[in-house]
Amino acid sequence: MINLDDDTNNFKKLVHLGLNVISSDDIEQQILSPLSCLREYESKWILEFDLPLVEKEHISITLDSGNKIIVEAKLKEKYYISNFHEKYEFNYFKKSVNLPDNIDEAKISAKFDNGRLVIIIPKTSKGNKIRIE
Amino acid sequence: MTQKINKKNKKILLVGFPSSGLIGTFATSYVVHTLKMNQIGEIDHPDLLPTLFVENGEILEPIRIYNKENLFVILSDIPFEPDLASDFAEMVVNYSKEQKIDMIVMVSGLEALNNPPASPKVYGLITDKSLEKTLYENQISKFLAGSIYGTEAKLLSKFRKLGVPTLVIYAECHPFFPDPNAAINAITTLSKVLKIKLDTEDIKNKMETLRIQHRNLMQETLNALQQKQEKHPKPKVPQIYR
Repeated sequence: MINLDDDTNNFKKLVHLGLNVISSDDIEQQILSPLSCLREYESKWILEFDLPLVEKEHISITLDSGNKIIVEAKLKEKYYISNFHEKYEFNYFKKSVNLPDNIDEAKISAKFDNGRLVIIIPKTSKGNKIRIE
Repeated sequence: MTQKINKKNKKILLVGFPSSGLIGTFATSYVVHTLKMNQIGEIDHPDLLPTLFVENGEILEPIRIYNKENLFVILSDIPFEPDLASDFAEMVVNYSKEQKIDMIVMVSGLEALNNPPASPKVYGLITDKSLEKTLYENQISKFLAGSIYGTEAKLLSKFRKLGVPTLVIYAECHPFFPDPNAAINAITTLSKVLKIKLDTEDIKNKMETLRIQHRNLMQETLNALQQKQEKHPKPKVPQIYR
């Protein structure tokens, strides 16, 4: 149930799992874990992150040497989650995603619109052509 | 603000549960919240993982029934698998017969092929020809072709076979992220169908926060959908044979 007056929804789903932590959010570092999805197309991969409460200027995207993409973003306003009688403050989103092989790193591009970051990762084509007899 | 529901209207049962973009969850909860509906019951099932939610110190069961005048709502805060969906559908049908419900309305999300769509659309799928008029009067485009799977398919199939006129309002959305923006389109259509005024200003102001709040529920819904697909893979029937 949406409670428009309260920020406790994040904890709702954890009760039945018997957990007492906030998913993979990092309370100490004030980091929220954003939702992401990776979809495969014939010529590319599309990696999306849901980054509400974020402005384009405050997003950093890094591709490390191990084919891992790291997205960090500062929230434009503090976000609070209440659990039991505690209130936790969050200021950032951060998530790293392992990318598949055979990607064209030099041609990776990104766009951000309406709080959604879309990273387009072109595939490279390798191998030998096979002749049809 | 208290909304009045026209007593001359048909008896309608609105059913909402987590699905693509959490459209059903957002839209149905918003109706309950805006109309200040009263909780009148709960639905339990022995195979449901024991779950209780606590809000402002009050214990809530995950599947609840609300009512205000001739509008009834069954709202589930948990996603469930098709195996349970069958029993859930029977419970809903029994309840609607008990209450002499004229029409069931479900709200859900539909992945836009061209994502994000320039102007997201809303479609209506009906189980009974008597509802053609409802589509026409409310200018809802008819869902003409496509496939539905999982919980929704099970519910819809059951409602159709048991002869309960059902309308499903599908709003184009992002299927993997909570999409309150798409839910607003669904709420606007729902407002016409239910013939009640539903001001969407409140949800518009809180869209970004709602997206953060509902990350876990979205993830759990996707996990449930994935389990469904592993257990019951989507049929890969060419369009022409459908």
